[in-house]
Amino acid sequence: MKLCDLFEKGKFVVTGEAAPPKGTNTAKMLSEAAPLKDMVDAVNITDNQSAVVKMGSLAASRCLKDNGIEPVYQLTCRDRNRLAIQSDLLSAAALGIENVLCLTGDHVSLGDHPHAKAVYDLDSVQLLKIASGLNHGKDSSGNELDGSTDFCLGAVVSPCTEPVEMQVIKLEKKIEAGACFIQTQAVYDTRLLEDFMNRLARRNITVPVMVGIVFIKSASMANYMNKNVAGIEVPETIIKEFENTPGDGLKAKSLEITIGLVNAYKDMCQGIHFMPLGWTDMVPEVLKSTGLRP
Amino acid sequence: MIGTVWKPEEEILGALQNAKNIFVVGCGGCAKVARSGGQLEVDKMVKLLESNGKNIIAAGVPERTCYIQFVRTFFDPKMSELKECDAVLVLGCGGAVQVVRQATEEYGLVKHVYSGLNSVGHMDTIVPGEYFLEQCSECGDCVLNLTGAICPVTKCSKGLLNGPCGGSKDGKCEVDPERDCAWVLIYERLKALGQLENVSTYWEPKDYSKAARPRKLVF
Repeated sequence: MKLCDLFEKGKFVVTGEAAPPKGTNTAKMLSEAAPLKDMVDAVNITDNQSAVVKMGSLAASRCLKDNGIEPVYQLTCRDRNRLAIQSDLLSAAALGIENVLCLTGDHVSLGDHPHAKAVYDLDSVQLLKIASGLNHGKDSSGNELDGSTDFCLGAVVSPCTEPVEMQVIKLEKKIEAGACFIQTQAVYDTRLLEDFMNRLARRNITVPVMVGIVFIKSASMANYMNKNVAGIEVPETIIKEFENTPGDGLKAKSLEITIGLVNAYKDMCQGIHFMPLGWTDMVPEVLKSTGLRP
Repeated sequence: MIGTVWKPEEEILGALQNAKNIFVVGCGGCAKVARSGGQLEVDKMVKLLESNGKNIIAAGVPERTCYIQFVRTFFDPKMSELKECDAVLVLGCGGAVQVVRQATEEYGLVKHVYSGLNSVGHMDTIVPGEYFLEQCSECGDCVLNLTGAICPVTKCSKGLLNGPCGGSKDGKCEVDPERDCAWVLIYERLKALGQLENVSTYWEPKDYSKAARPRKLVF
């Protein structure tokens, strides 16, 4: 099922996220994804996330699909030139992948192969444009395809990254290039999200936006993200709440904070993207408590 | 200029392990400015090699070692030393090493020509004598007219053309928190110049055929 079809029907779309294994054993990935089955509309499969070598996101996406879970195939520009990217997209179509999230990709220097050559033959806007071209039966050199793709293409944006105007300029280009849904970096500040959504409205951007939420597991994790993860700003009030929570209450606190965020966001956006980092079992409870799912 | 730095001493000595009589050639151009191949560094290399049992048969600094005519001018009066040496060690960029090799071949000599330096990029002098920075990748398809004279191909660690990635934090690059995000710089400059529309439209993928190597200029 393509996410854009769900948005068109007016559905509030919910997605989760799972990481492919470091190896060939898919058991952990599938057990992590299992609580999401029938609870979310799709599950993102990350592409060598943080530039760490994992099973390919295409194979893992197909694996998820075989287990009855709709994947969002994440595809980055870091590791492939335009030939490889188009070839992988054609392969994805052949394997029944319908949703593709197009990203730049974390730099190789951040991962476990820092001496690798980073590719970035394309950027994320160009990737979207080329994927749209495949949907229209043409490769990036204008050659006719024998059989087109029919992807629902997604893009990402980082609402908390300054200068926000430049983020929005790039987002507009992504939409122009063919993105039909937007997924944001994690946001923990309702006021900030409101400002961002107003900014999109002023520019007549009407493409559905799914707001990202990474499940915070502790004060130290929040501090780590604030210091090291671009585009994430966890407010001090949330960090204080975790600091005042004993170890055995952290998951309950995370649940409470997440429910609060979803309740605050759900009328401002068209969907939520959860990044549970292993705590996928928390997603059904969040969805029930916020009334997003029965 | 071409930035150059000394190779590790053990690598230089390893390359020269079977050579006894060495001819050391510096470069009075970029490598002199980069403090890796001027007269001072050639003298330092001579001392290093001598202390490791090598016999320095000749040493000197051509005006520019990447120019074949300067290299010929340098070698012509030193032909006997060049013939006699077991190896030439060049303290110049990778181009200089190859021009020296070309010169030895023109003289009909079959000589080992080794490099004492690693070339580390096209460097601009930001603070004379102190700070040099790679700002141009020589991509063959300059975009500076549209970016307020700040190169995203070189100064963005990913070489992105359509705006910043999500890795920019507090205006710094995800690769190095000390480095400015090129796209934040471009945004601020274009905004000040009233030219933000330059980056508001789609930029096509770069034509890398213009950077297909080796490139040449022929007159």
